[in-house]
Amino acid sequence: MEPDACIETSSMIRVAVLPVAGIPTLLFRDYAAMLLRHHTVSLNSIRSFYTEHQKSPFAHQPWESGNLRFKFMLGGSPPSPWEDFQSNRKILAVIGLCHCPSSPDLHSVADQFTAACKSYSSSLVQRCFAFSPGDSQLEEESYKGSNLVLFPPADQQTQEFHLQTMVQDIAASLLMEFEKWVLQAESGATILKTPLDSQASLSSEEVIKAKKRRLGRAQKTIGDYCLLAGSPVDANAHYSTALELTRLTSDFFWYAGAMEGSVCALLMDRNGQKDPDLEDEVKYRYNSVILHYRKSFIQDNAQRVSPLSFELEATLKLARFLCRRDLAKEVVELLTAAADGATSLIDASDKLVVYVEIARLFGALGYHRKAAFFSRQVAQLYFQQDNKHAAISAMQVLAMTTKAYRVQSRASSEPFNVSGQTYADGGKIHHHSIVSLFESQWSTLQMVVLREILLSAVRAGDPLAAWSAAARLLRSYYPLITPAGQIGLANALANSAVRLPMGTRCGDPALPFIRLHSFPLHSAQVDIVKRNPAREDWWVGSAPSGPFIYTPFSKGEPNHNNKQELTWVVGEPVQVLVELANPCGFEVMVDSIYLSVHSKNLDAFPVSVNLPPNSSKVITLSGIPTKEGPVSIPGCIVHCFGVITEHLFKEVDNLLIGATQGLVLSDPFRSCGVAKLKNALVPNISVVPPLPLLVSQVVGGDGSVMLYEGEIRDVWISLANAGTVPVEQAHISLSGKNQDSVISVASETLQSALPLKPGAEVTIRVTLKAWQLVMTDADAAAMITLSGIPTKEGPVSIPGCIVHCFGVITEHLFKEVDNLLIGATQGLVLSDPFRSCGVAKLKNALVPNISVVPPLPLLVSQVVGGDGSVMLYEGEIRDVWISLANAGTVPVEQAHISLSGKNQDSVISVASETLQSALPLKPGAEVTIRVTLKAWQLVMTDADAAASKGVPGTSAKQVKDGSSPMLLIHYAGSLRNSTEPQTEPVPPPGRRLVISLNICVLQGLSFVKARLLSMEIPAHVGGTHTKLVQLEGDSTVQANGSERQTDRFMKIDPYRGSWGLRLLELELSNPTDVVFETSVSVDMENSNDRESLSNCSCTEFADPKTRIDRDYTARVLIPLEHFKLPVLDGSFLIKGSQISGTNSGRCPSFSEKNIKAEELQKADMKVNPGMSGDFIIAHEMTAMEVLVRNNTKETIRINLSVTCKDVAGENCIEGDKATVLWEGVLTGIAKEVPPLQEIRHIFSLYFLIPGEYTMLAAAVIDDANEVLRARARSNASDEPIFCRGPPFHVRVNGTA
Amino acid sequence: MASTACFMIVSKNDIPIYEAEVGTVPKKEDAAHQHQFILHAALDIVQDMAWTTSAMFLKAIDRFNDLVVSVYVTAGHTRLMLLHDSRNDDGIKSFFQEVHELYIKTILNPLYLPGSRITSSHFDTKVRALARKYL
Repeated sequence: MEPDACIETSSMIRVAVLPVAGIPTLLFRDYAAMLLRHHTVSLNSIRSFYTEHQKSPFAHQPWESGNLRFKFMLGGSPPSPWEDFQSNRKILAVIGLCHCPSSPDLHSVADQFTAACKSYSSSLVQRCFAFSPGDSQLEEESYKGSNLVLFPPADQQTQEFHLQTMVQDIAASLLMEFEKWVLQAESGATILKTPLDSQASLSSEEVIKAKKRRLGRAQKTIGDYCLLAGSPVDANAHYSTALELTRLTSDFFWYAGAMEGSVCALLMDRNGQKDPDLEDEVKYRYNSVILHYRKSFIQDNAQRVSPLSFELEATLKLARFLCRRDLAKEVVELLTAAADGATSLIDASDKLVVYVEIARLFGALGYHRKAAFFSRQVAQLYFQQDNKHAAISAMQVLAMTTKAYRVQSRASSEPFNVSGQTYADGGKIHHHSIVSLFESQWSTLQMVVLREILLSAVRAGDPLAAWSAAARLLRSYYPLITPAGQIGLANALANSAVRLPMGTRCGDPALPFIRLHSFPLHSAQVDIVKRNPAREDWWVGSAPSGPFIYTPFSKGEPNHNNKQELTWVVGEPVQVLVELANPCGFEVMVDSIYLSVHSKNLDAFPVSVNLPPNSSKVITLSGIPTKEGPVSIPGCIVHCFGVITEHLFKEVDNLLIGATQGLVLSDPFRSCGVAKLKNALVPNISVVPPLPLLVSQVVGGDGSVMLYEGEIRDVWISLANAGTVPVEQAHISLSGKNQDSVISVASETLQSALPLKPGAEVTIRVTLKAWQLVMTDADAAAMITLSGIPTKEGPVSIPGCIVHCFGVITEHLFKEVDNLLIGATQGLVLSDPFRSCGVAKLKNALVPNISVVPPLPLLVSQVVGGDGSVMLYEGEIRDVWISLANAGTVPVEQAHISLSGKNQDSVISVASETLQSALPLKPGAEVTIRVTLKAWQLVMTDADAAASKGVPGTSAKQVKDGSSPMLLIHYAGSLRNSTEPQTEPVPPPGRRLVISLNICVLQGLSFVKARLLSMEIPAHVGGTHTKLVQLEGDSTVQANGSERQTDRFMKIDPYRGSWGLRLLELELSNPTDVVFETSVSVDMENSNDRESLSNCSCTEFADPKTRIDRDYTARVLIPLEHFKLPVLDGSFLIKGSQISGTNSGRCPSFSEKNIKAEELQKADMKVNPGMSGDFIIAHEMTAMEVLVRNNTKETIRINLSVTCKDVAGENCIEGDKATVLWEGVLTGIAKEVPPLQEIRHIFSLYFLIPGEYTMLAAAVIDDANEVLRARARSNASDEPIFCRGPPFHVRVNGTA
Repeated sequence: MASTACFMIVSKNDIPIYEAEVGTVPKKEDAAHQHQFILHAALDIVQDMAWTTSAMFLKAIDRFNDLVVSVYVTAGHTRLMLLHDSRNDDGIKSFFQEVHELYIKTILNPLYLPGSRITSSHFDTKVRALARKYL
């Protein structure tokens, strides 16, 4: 079997094209490609090379219209056993290709070529083409007489012409050889045999049979040569004779061969023109060919050789001839028959060829699924061969099937319709189009095919193909794959990535799934307003700014389709929220992910993210627009599993739509627990050139102004340009409620300051007049308040009012009117006097039981300083002073303060003892109590809330939300009324005062992460050691240079290297509008010792302050000396506000923060062997020492003890089985450790048994102070405080 | 006599919406894949054949090795495909007609989106019962 067989194959002259004398492969391909163009040579053109030596046997050769056809076999082919049967199977000519510069010796080239030709005994013509010879080679004579043809270096065209001439020469030579052969065959008596004929020595019967058949076979062969010589008429004549003769001798095999030849002659004669009659003729004859091949099947030698392959070849030839859409049915039948026949083929490669051909023909017919099916069969045959080349072939064949199975790699499929059509109608997609998105999803087949591709790619050693297949498999079919399988695929991805060069890109995304979450809108501060240059008031008619979806003012604007418009500014960072999902059972590490910007005008910042199994995350991707123009963000670029891929949002959106309709197996986001499908639309984003950016701040006060009704006050608002371009135009207008309250705005100040350069600042004055507090009800006007003062204790009844009206005093009872009103609602009375006056609702006010009690004290409260509201940054701690005054007439005898409302935690302490000590509070007396507040953390209620951060508008909302705590003061006068003793059995009631602490929390520094960096240096420090020791010994530490200070943190042990120097790295980000400066100080937990604290922070930690600009993140390094850190959590950081000395008062632009690292300050102890020897040896006294260091500023008394345990954990110093003897004291050692110093306790051990021991030093601290108690987290004051050093492992070697 | 049979319903968008191995031959590892591959390939032929006849039952339209593919095309161009190795045209025809009826009942369900997977276990049970009866 041969691939590419068609009916015309019989007329093709087979030419072997061989590489000669080490021609480079690439050049060989180039030259061969040049040669392959000359596959057809017209008879007309070779006439000049042709000389008629004798009368040609091809009498009817069509010299004008005919031609010779070549079939070039690159690299040659082994001889076929069927050469005699079909002459076109013979290699009739050999062409060698040689590149002269790579083989200088032409003589040896000629020799090599001759040697190569030897294996083609059937060849009639041999030529060796030598390209680009040097001058010396051109002159060389040695090769003369051989078949070497030199192609002098020339331009392409000349060379091709030269080549054409040489091919024509070969064609002519071949033609002459054919003539010779035919003449010889006609006269001679060659016996033609095929493998079908018995190979054994001929019996007499066989000889007679062979003689009879000889003539017919000879005629058939002559016909073959006529075909090769391009003379169909001659061929036909010979074939007719052959048909007759073979039929008579019932030589069916040769009969079928002759018939095949005759069809070829027929087609050649028609010169490629087809008509239905011809087709019928071909069909008829070929059916007979197939029939006769089948007939020639001989049972004897069926094991060895079978004409089946010829039958199948004929079937395929006919199918190829008929292969047209309208004859599909017949072709399908032929191909099905061929496929059936293929199963009984013996040779595996024959089977392969049949399947390849069937697949090709189905493909040509447009039956892609059939083609894919047979391609897969081919791939499976390749799989059985189990070698690398077969695996490569299998992979290539399978790659062709991917289109039919709809699993093609995105790299090979046609580019997507990126226009985003599905978004055009606002995300509404018709059902039919949804279904069509998931057309032909045969998941079972797709998985099998992808798995086979993966397998073949792994075998073929193509990591990229393997990666791509694994990625497609994992992404599309993860719900059908078991967790173990998923992990296997992840490993396959990782293994492939290892073999790929860094930064390889792949068209097929793997995990995670990424969808667009939202575009955070600009905060109100940086709102963008369209500019209308035609008008002076250019902001009018612009897009509405503010929270309104619809404003009537924008109605005139042509409303572009309902797509959201988004404007970004060059140079200002932008953010996009995307949601990642990992629905698989393994952790996905995304090395980097950033926005994919096709418009190339955005610098995207990569971030890395870790997705635990079955989880999803919303992350913020940011970037900075660099150029003006529209921005399109179709997806993200993800670097995951070692390969860079692009994940398009649209694909995931389609997937999710399919999931909601039940067309796709699973929704990756839902399986990760994300409940709601949010259809985020990609807005039209455009980038505009840099704009100025004003930031505003109210000078003085905390940003809010507290006015009494009718009060007039000037407020100064400073505007600074934080952008990069100057502000050229500015206009101030008012919006919102109570616009009347703004009496004047000094807009002329702003105008005169224009243009406002970047960084420049202007302060404008706004005069405010507080409005009247109005009763919310409209009826209020009709209501009046009647007042009075109770004079005596006892019950009060108020049945009505005394009215002096129309000159007469009358009593109006409420009850009468109430009855009237009830009657009016029932329709019994003519009219309701209140309703007719426009009062809508009947309120049924009940008269309560009123009783009068003796005078009570009355506390009024006021927040000292400020406007009554406190503005704090997150985590800030501030003292607020609240003054309480007794406005009553009796003293306050009892008082109790409690908290209520939300965020009670934010009140750290209330100095209730101050209030208690001030009791009894006489009338008119005043007491001021301190309340320490700590601002709470702003919690994002939703991920979207991140969009609106640090905007004062939102913090104002916080106040309204009632998130502030309230102080409740319950107080009362004396228990017994002093004026009228014993008359009242019931004590007079107390009172309650509610003080609402108006706290506005602004977002402050946010804590990103903390790391503890260990700066341990190994031993052998050398000279510096002694110096340090001296420093240590010096009790007064001189903190002059920073170098020394840092040195102080480092402890160096001659045996262990350095320890103790650790750096706490805090990463803080500043999302606010102000600049933070952080400095580090140590909080000794001694609140009453403020001076020493500040001292401490100045001397010991006078590190440069870290400045964190707005919208930036910075790292703060805190050197820690022997600090044991509690668990790093949110509560770890206390941000204390300290007013720095340089800025007196609250500086508006700088808010200075001190971050105090709380550290566990306790005694730190170590057990060291006293000797520096490498080993501790048994049966020898070993000196040891315990080092105890006190890190606090106070002397600590401890009770130290040392234990030693063996590997089993048994105490080996005490007890019956003690294996260690000791000298010195080991338990109950009372020591006193001076502040910030260390002591040693020396003892010796004598180990009886070699082995491993663990030594542990522990101490009980006597009279621990509060600091230590707090650090040790002990509750009871009498609880002993323990302190324990790290275990010290000792290895004791035997003496032997 | 053990028989191999694989039944599938393919929606007009070429999505398999129901599949069942209804043969009596014990299940083999990759046989199910192979059956689906054959049925998938046969769609090409069904696509042409469906328009050449007015009958819904297309009889055996394709084969691979010993396995024959019989197809029944509904008016909505949903294809009921059966891969089998027995020659029992009448039984297959009755089977298809009954399954067609079941399928119509399924698409009458207002909660079923035509073209999506049939997950009803009732349908599955009925189809298997029909297969036992006719095949």
